[in-house]
Amino acid sequence: MAQQKQVKRVPPKWSLWFRGGLDEWLLIFQKVSGAILVIYLIAHTLVISTALGFGHPSELTWNTVIGFVEGPHVAGPAHVGTIIEYLIALLAAVHGGANGFRLILTQYFGVGLPRPERHTFPRAVPSVKKSGQAWLKYVAIIVVIIFLILATLVAFVW
Amino acid sequence: MGMVSASTLRRWQYLLGIVLIVVLGIHLAFRWPSYEQSISYPVVVNQILNYGYIAAIYILLYAALAHGLIGFRTLLLELWHWKYARITVDVVLIIIGVAVAVIGTIALTGAILTLAH
Amino acid sequence: MSSQQTGTALQTTAATEKITITKPPLGSPIRRTYVFKVKRYDPERGGGYYWREYKIELTNHETVLDGLIKIKWHQDATLSFRYSCRMGICGSCGMIINGVPRLACETKPYDLGTEVVTIEPLSNFEPIKDVATDFSDFFRKHRSVKPWLIRKDETEQFEKLETYYPQTEEQLNEYLEFAYCIKCGLCYSACPMVFLNKDYLGPQALAQAYRWSADNRDEGAVLRLKVVDSENGVWSCHYSGTCSKVCPKDVDPALAINLLKNWLLTGRRRR
Repeated sequence: MAQQKQVKRVPPKWSLWFRGGLDEWLLIFQKVSGAILVIYLIAHTLVISTALGFGHPSELTWNTVIGFVEGPHVAGPAHVGTIIEYLIALLAAVHGGANGFRLILTQYFGVGLPRPERHTFPRAVPSVKKSGQAWLKYVAIIVVIIFLILATLVAFVW
Repeated sequence: MGMVSASTLRRWQYLLGIVLIVVLGIHLAFRWPSYEQSISYPVVVNQILNYGYIAAIYILLYAALAHGLIGFRTLLLELWHWKYARITVDVVLIIIGVAVAVIGTIALTGAILTLAH
Repeated sequence: MSSQQTGTALQTTAATEKITITKPPLGSPIRRTYVFKVKRYDPERGGGYYWREYKIELTNHETVLDGLIKIKWHQDATLSFRYSCRMGICGSCGMIINGVPRLACETKPYDLGTEVVTIEPLSNFEPIKDVATDFSDFFRKHRSVKPWLIRKDETEQFEKLETYYPQTEEQLNEYLEFAYCIKCGLCYSACPMVFLNKDYLGPQALAQAYRWSADNRDEGAVLRLKVVDSENGVWSCHYSGTCSKVCPKDVDPALAINLLKNWLLTGRRRR
């Protein structure tokens, strides 16, 4: 082609994601939360290792390091660190619960994965919309909500 | 990880994911009933001397690192297309993974040995 | 504009993003004026994408493609788009109509229900000119999964075929659903992972990898599984199912990809 292309391919419309149901959001959420969680995991391991004095624990080091990462007091029993930990735990629950566990069940164990069938063309129901997949998503949402309630009680109330 | 096929890696990631649901559940359950109290020093010492809990923590450390870094590798390789992207990502992530695992193991094992005596 | 019947509203099923076509009203056709808002691109003009609007009168029997052809005849001969059969068989006229990838020849503005019809080139494809997009990557990926019958015996495959390969109804049903693919690229255009990972083979190629591997006459599954077992193969898929929701032929590529993953993880094809 003689001319240099001045435009690039465009992404699929975001509006498509509002119509399709939960699935596209689960995908992007899994990517973003996974990246945040792995960075948190490394930081968390290093912080706790420091707080344990790299194998020589003392109350002073523990209180200094944990006091530092916990940050200032916010309200009730909660510190800044409490809120961060709370959000991270929530992220982990949604990351695993929302798409992770569904993908493992579907791909490894074939749960909710229908057989290919001779469909009545047109207007067949795609497999993601079939009941086998739908109940997996509803169970995930219910589990995440229960977790959300318990985590809120632990972090902010008791 | 040229010798390991993508499906093998993925099978490991899925199995570790299931393991993680259990051990991370235990880790979070030990924040019960109050988060602030559960991270005070006397309680932490008790937790470290609870061998069932500490076993879960060891598994959690290694399983989460492996699961997380395999996932992170997938994410990086999806976004980054360069001739040497694969080898660069593999080397960097293995170094990070091993380093964090070693530091965590030293701290945890040292703490158990010190507190047990 | 003479409309004898007020157009009964069209129901779009939010679930599948497909339009429920009501029975065509009896009597004379319903004429309406639509504004076609077309996202255009001309490599010789420079300056990236630009929008043009065309006013066009169409009946309830005419499709978006008919509208585009009318525009090209009567209003703007420079408008470029690709089409061939006009009846949903060739898969040439895929474009983004009102935000959703659809075949222009199977979409009627009357059924869309909006006065303004936006038309854009397929996402995830490099544009060539206006609504026509470059499919070379797409077909290269399709070729890479070896979408043909492979026999272990090369003489039998390439030189002399002496037997028939019988197939029962059940064996046909194992793959028939995925054989309806017309390579229109709508699934590829809708897939969020194709945009994130430009080397991802995409739903179309992967569905075809399953279609040929699940065929009882084929013996090349091992070769295809080797191709799709990579970060750019099936493992880029996260089962968002957007491909299946926009497929004009109800091929359900998402199911095929997940059957492939299940095959790779468990070592045998799920029956």
